[in-house]
Amino acid sequence: MILVAGGLADRVTELVCARLAERNYPYRLLDLGRYPNDHGITCRWRDGGPEGTITGPGWSLDLADITGVYVRFLGAEGRLPLANAAPETAELLRAEADAGLMAIFEDLACPVVNRAAGGMSNNSKPYQALLLRRAGLRVPPTLVTNDPEAAHAFHAAHGEVVYKSLSGIRSIVRRLGPQAISRLKHLRDGPAQFQAYVPGSNVRVHTVGNRIFAVRVRSDAVDYRYAHLDGLAVEMEPTVLPRSVEQACLAVARDLDLLFAGIDLKETPEGDWYCFEVNPCPGFLYYERNSGLPISAALADLLRGAGSTRARRHVMN
Amino acid sequence: MGSPAPASIADCGVGGNVRRGAARSSAVHLVLGRPDDYCCAGVLARFLERGFPARLVTDPLAVPARFIWRLDNAGMETRLALDGTSPTTVSSVLVRDVGWLQTDGWDPSDHAYMQAETRAALLAWLESLPCPVINRTSAAIWYRHRMPLLAWLPLLRGAGLPTPEIVLTNDSADARNFGVQLEGNGAGGALCTPLTTDAAWLVSASDWTGLARLQELVPVCLSEPHGPVQSACIVGDRILWDRDPSSEVAGLAPNLLRFARTAGLTLLEVAVAATRRGPLVAVVEPHVRFDHFRACTRELILDALVDALAGESARVREVEEAST
Repeated sequence: MILVAGGLADRVTELVCARLAERNYPYRLLDLGRYPNDHGITCRWRDGGPEGTITGPGWSLDLADITGVYVRFLGAEGRLPLANAAPETAELLRAEADAGLMAIFEDLACPVVNRAAGGMSNNSKPYQALLLRRAGLRVPPTLVTNDPEAAHAFHAAHGEVVYKSLSGIRSIVRRLGPQAISRLKHLRDGPAQFQAYVPGSNVRVHTVGNRIFAVRVRSDAVDYRYAHLDGLAVEMEPTVLPRSVEQACLAVARDLDLLFAGIDLKETPEGDWYCFEVNPCPGFLYYERNSGLPISAALADLLRGAGSTRARRHVMN
Repeated sequence: MGSPAPASIADCGVGGNVRRGAARSSAVHLVLGRPDDYCCAGVLARFLERGFPARLVTDPLAVPARFIWRLDNAGMETRLALDGTSPTTVSSVLVRDVGWLQTDGWDPSDHAYMQAETRAALLAWLESLPCPVINRTSAAIWYRHRMPLLAWLPLLRGAGLPTPEIVLTNDSADARNFGVQLEGNGAGGALCTPLTTDAAWLVSASDWTGLARLQELVPVCLSEPHGPVQSACIVGDRILWDRDPSSEVAGLAPNLLRFARTAGLTLLEVAVAATRRGPLVAVVEPHVRFDHFRACTRELILDALVDALAGESARVREVEEAST
């Protein structure tokens, strides 16, 4: 039995459930929009991993019977008010309830997409860039600084430069134009991240266990995810990666203990491949719909235990 | 695991073992934290006593500091000029607390954003420094600074360490059954330890109704209560016990060191509790609470920290000099 923990209203979770149903893979939905209301947890750790059950409306699932877990936590906006709790208390209670679920998922022997620890590198893009480079992927020249002079020098050296968040918050890529340059003096309030603009076509890779799905994205937008805001078009098509890039992508996902990852790459006109970041909770629906690649089907197979899996790696160190 | 763990027992008067006055470089040992923190103040004082340049910094990225972290495929460069002009050569870093931006003048959402940005930059900087950093944590630990024992269980088990029985439940009958089981074993109730706060309280016979009301809102985490614990601080490959451990507890030392290595932690506090099932690891805390240790143990921990930072720093410098 597969456990899906997510929101009914979340379109990515909805797609996962639809694919599982289509393939007749039995699953239970732990509706995080309502949880912990309407759900029960009885879990015990003795000398090994967790034992017990998770229950929802009309169902009960023994942890030992779970073949795979797909989890996509929700923000406060996707959750119903908690019964009998003041709003300020509700946030704390939800955090506590989510921490309990994370602890269970972290310690299950079956595939979990994804365990929380593996995704933490996404909160520091430069830290992640170090890991990407160690895995053998080329990363764009990057500067993190609180020094306006250094930012100006980087801009002068590279000509075309983009800037983006260091953390996972407000993560939109923007070109460093005249207006942004005039604001560089504010760097003294806190650091920012700059990267040399890499020309070429974007390629989004999804790793599912040991399988790879690559989509080439054609758009004139600096950040194609927001191309519609500038009235620009986006086109996608399946593509094939060079073997070395493919292996490096799988290595990164493995090193981060991510059974499912979205990896952003770019191929330059010269045929060089650059990697920008790894998303541990990819909203892959956009890419699947536009490319026709069977990402959700592979994910379903992985969760059922039929897909290729690999030995678990702890990512504390 | 290699050779048996070198262990020390707190014995006031036993000092560190690094040569004194060994400083020859103008490079500086950085202590990141607050001046009123016992560990920061103690490590700083020891560095200075031993003749090593050292500096305590609360927020390394705040004005007047100038920070540059550059990465490309040719390599990487980090430069930190704490005074805003001349780059600081960093010999080692003790990370006790990283700068939290003052909230004054910030819109709350902007403040949260800038805080996240600063922490992201610091994590990358610490990861890329060639010198010793204690603790040089992974993102998994950096971003989860309050990790309950439950979160450490897989690694503790992997290191062969015994852990308490733990129940996570929002079923009042399940909780009560656990309590009855514990009472049958002579315990005075169950220990309730929320996963997201440092709180802990004993749930005894008269408290189960109140706990049931809490369980209507959220699953609770319960474990077997234990008596006094034997605290130890791991610093590198040394274990500093606060009191003379029993042979059974001392026998866990190789496993504790294996756990620390697997977790990627050079410095951490552990506490081993005696229970009817034998000694169990009851506490894992990378941010060592010095008030959990006797004064003489604290001194030993500080000595060991400075030994580890200065000693490893000297080794890194020797390797660098040999390679040039």
